[in-house]
Amino acid sequence: MPYYPSRKITIIAQDPSIQVGGKIVRTQIEIPNEELEPGPRGYRVQVVDYDSTTNTLYKTVPRPPNHSDDLPADPFATMTDAQLLASPDFHAMNVYAIVMRTLSRFEFALGRRVAWSFQGHQIQVAPHAFADANAFYSPDDQALMFGYFPKVKTKGYVFGCLAHDVIAHETTHALLDGLRERFTDPSSPEQAGFHEGFADIVAILSVFSMRDVVAKVLDPTGRRVMMNASNVTLKALRESILTGLAEQFGEELSGIRGNALRRSVTLLPGQDYLHDPEFEEPHRRGEVLVAAIINVFLEVWVARMQPYIHPDKTLDRKRAVEEGAEVADHLLTICVRAIDYCPPTDLEFCDFASALLTSDWEMYPKDLKYRFREQLYKSFNAYGIVPTSKGEREPGTWDPPPQGDKDHRVVYDRTHFEEMKCDYDEVFRFIWENRRAFKLSEEAYTRVQSVRPCVRVGDDGFTLRETVVEYIQQLTIRASELKRLKIEKPEGMPKDLQVTLYGGNAMIFDQYGRLKYNVGNSIFNAERQSRRMKYLWQYGFFKPGASKMRRFASMHRKRMSGWGQAGGAAVADWTAHEEQVEQPQECD
Amino acid sequence: MAKIQVKKSAVTAAKKVTAKKAASKKTPAKKVAAKPAAGKGPVKLTLRAYNVGFGDCFLLTFEYPKFKRRILIDYGSTAAPKNADDDYMMAIAKDIEAQCTDADGVARLDAVVATHRHRDHISGFSTEGDNTGGVIARMNPGLVIQPWTEDPEAQPKADEATATTFTGGKPDAKAFIASLHNMNRMAGAIAEASRDEHLGLSTKMASQMGFLGDNNLPNKSAVVNLMEMGKKGRAAYVNAGSKSGLEPVLPGVTVHVLGPPNLKQTQSIKKEKDRDANEFWQFAAFWQFQAAAGESVDLKVPLFPAAEAHEVHAIPANVRWFVGRAQKIRGEQLMELVRSLDTAMNNTSVILLFQVGGKSFLFPGDAQIENWQFALSQEPVKEMLKSVDVYKVGHHGSLNATPKSLWALFEHKHETPAPDRLTTVVSTKPGKHGSVQSHTEVPRSTLVAELQKESEYFSTQDLLKSQICKEYEFEL
Repeated sequence: MPYYPSRKITIIAQDPSIQVGGKIVRTQIEIPNEELEPGPRGYRVQVVDYDSTTNTLYKTVPRPPNHSDDLPADPFATMTDAQLLASPDFHAMNVYAIVMRTLSRFEFALGRRVAWSFQGHQIQVAPHAFADANAFYSPDDQALMFGYFPKVKTKGYVFGCLAHDVIAHETTHALLDGLRERFTDPSSPEQAGFHEGFADIVAILSVFSMRDVVAKVLDPTGRRVMMNASNVTLKALRESILTGLAEQFGEELSGIRGNALRRSVTLLPGQDYLHDPEFEEPHRRGEVLVAAIINVFLEVWVARMQPYIHPDKTLDRKRAVEEGAEVADHLLTICVRAIDYCPPTDLEFCDFASALLTSDWEMYPKDLKYRFREQLYKSFNAYGIVPTSKGEREPGTWDPPPQGDKDHRVVYDRTHFEEMKCDYDEVFRFIWENRRAFKLSEEAYTRVQSVRPCVRVGDDGFTLRETVVEYIQQLTIRASELKRLKIEKPEGMPKDLQVTLYGGNAMIFDQYGRLKYNVGNSIFNAERQSRRMKYLWQYGFFKPGASKMRRFASMHRKRMSGWGQAGGAAVADWTAHEEQVEQPQECD
Repeated sequence: MAKIQVKKSAVTAAKKVTAKKAASKKTPAKKVAAKPAAGKGPVKLTLRAYNVGFGDCFLLTFEYPKFKRRILIDYGSTAAPKNADDDYMMAIAKDIEAQCTDADGVARLDAVVATHRHRDHISGFSTEGDNTGGVIARMNPGLVIQPWTEDPEAQPKADEATATTFTGGKPDAKAFIASLHNMNRMAGAIAEASRDEHLGLSTKMASQMGFLGDNNLPNKSAVVNLMEMGKKGRAAYVNAGSKSGLEPVLPGVTVHVLGPPNLKQTQSIKKEKDRDANEFWQFAAFWQFQAAAGESVDLKVPLFPAAEAHEVHAIPANVRWFVGRAQKIRGEQLMELVRSLDTAMNNTSVILLFQVGGKSFLFPGDAQIENWQFALSQEPVKEMLKSVDVYKVGHHGSLNATPKSLWALFEHKHETPAPDRLTTVVSTKPGKHGSVQSHTEVPRSTLVAELQKESEYFSTQDLLKSQICKEYEFEL
């Protein structure tokens, strides 16, 4: 019997409200093949269909169970829409398939297995967790929870577990938290907005990599073979996404979160959003990042379609669809890959921009086929996101690290190549031996957070081997000591308040074990540290009870329910500033 | 929106109102600032802070040389005082009636203020059960003051309350009020869930959730009674800066309405978000979905009744840990929801500042920071607040209803007794709300400590069983 590494399964392409000709748009996706237990429960994803509102645990069985290496059938392909909606088995399979797909997209992009943020290997997924317009990732419960709620205008329910973008969004939170655990720390509105923004980017691009969804955007009736070239301009595409997809996205699921897709096509380039006070709020800030990336998607898609326009100003619809899906998929890979090139603490969008350009430059130094980098660089700047690095080799990309100064050269010969690929202590020795060359704070606590060997296929067809390392530095001092580090103490902060400063780097070693990149934020970067302190102080993070517990749940909740509620420093209540307060914990 | 609506009084009350109008003509309220013309204003103010347990009930009697005027601010309770008799609320009603009785044997209550629709502020107005609301109605209050959100004309119709569509556009008063109704609906579902054992709530959490849920239930009988009394006399639905409607009732007294802000006013102080109308609609849609989810889902009937499910006692071992976690999450979520709707409701509280005879009396209901923010953004208001002499501590002494920025304004704070020392009075009962561990207990110990240190502080929880209220007399 041959072993098939992947299988095909029917899912709802976006959500049940996206229909063509009165039928829900579905699609078949490819996911890793495995022998599933009832649930379905697989090697990375375990669906537990427990509803805490009605206290019901459903017995869901994958039909037919694939207890052999045979290629399992796709039992849902032939079912009617009504059957799919009424089948908890399908709901469970749909959510399982989309979580698995998102996971495998990450693994494909990064060239290695990607762990969840918690210790276990299998994330629990509850497709009907509660009757509530909410869906979230909960690291403490090692779970993704999807709610359901009745439709307001018509009969029936809205299911979070049937919405592709919602599932991909939550899964991305879980994966990003595994890759960069410090990104959920209180730091700046940009770091806070990044988690949401990045999850939206992955969700939107994941949906656009479904051909059937793109086809729906280009031709809502699904009947045309050729289409007018005037429909594939930047402006026309924005418009058709807005009317053909985004409004429906918002309609039913606005109870779960705001309409990121809608925002991403209505925030036009050419404005300095990041300096606009309206965009200080983390979620709004995240939308700027999403808009910048979706703008690239559209630009590249339009450019890719130009050669296929016939002299009579028409083009093949299938071709246009194909290109759109491919561009989305490719851009998704680039975005995920960029995470490895991001500093591990205090991320700002400008850092992500440099990381994105660099990771792609590594893979495709010439940027010929899609011209993604050219568009990315242009788009980031057009949205006011100026890449952190000027880029000696190409605009915006990280520079190779200095090999130390004349007094302190980076030394390699005290560590061993083989161990450097996987051993935390060996890597730490390397960092410690080079603490002066790397200009580390010697009084800070320093820890290697991850050592991840990865293999990628290069442009020339050969494999590219790299090791990605993250280390962080953390220094807890009294507010009065900030001055010594040239960091400004925020006005009104008590002198004896304990504050923690973070620094840290992502290091990329090439296949010879030489340091290719060493990017990060230093504890000594007084300008950034001052800004962070000021933000945290102003927005009341130094308060007890501001725990990390279920932060994603409450983050989503706040976004939806928070209208008219005071935020930040205004909430000068009687708990604030009383005692030494919550600091991000070293580990949970 | 939210102007005072002066409804023509019904026949019975007509005479009285005209009489009052005549009285007020002599001294138009506008010109009477903090310093009243001698002889025209009241000479004494008696304040009775009733011990309603957890709730608020304050009777203000303004004594003029020839008559008295009485204002009742809130009358509700959700938890009886310690060792109280079953009919403690009726006893209070009777005492109010006695206090309001003039020499001719007729009980006259001039105005009722229902700061917001929480049960602990309005349950006494209910005509159900022992009908304490009937006692109040009998006294024919000529004026009922409520927040703008209670205006019957601004209420969405029954079907609108359940079907605010996500249409976007500018913040809309009806949609906002519909959200408040949806919160009431959701509260019912939460109160019910709090009694559901499978959520694995600790006894304490379940009781707090039930307490908050119940407090936010629609108080139909009380609401109707308030509306009826308003119809009979006058009804004023107020917002920050609007007239209180008390002008003809209290000659020589200036009453400022400092809250709640209406939507426009709320928008005006939102620095970073003012251009984001979507946010408002998300909020409206959110509560609509919540209410629908809470109400339409029968806790006992599975979503897929036909699907096979495990017996409750036969959960497979490999998912037991997760099922336990999922139940706990649900409990926490409901708690968070009920807290946030409780806050939203508190923030509809009417905030009144009485200025009379050089003294200022502040009654903020349960207003929290979001409500206060508008008033505190107005320089003239801040100036007025500096000279507050008597402060009814907001929200039963909870941590979030006495903004530090407000407290900082008060200039009559003194650490030692002084003639003009600030008086603070709180109506509360400990152990009902919040927890010591999370620094959210009501009354909040740090706030109480500060109040005790800087002001003449009194809490109704210190009243003995034989004492129905704490009485203050202020010579004006």
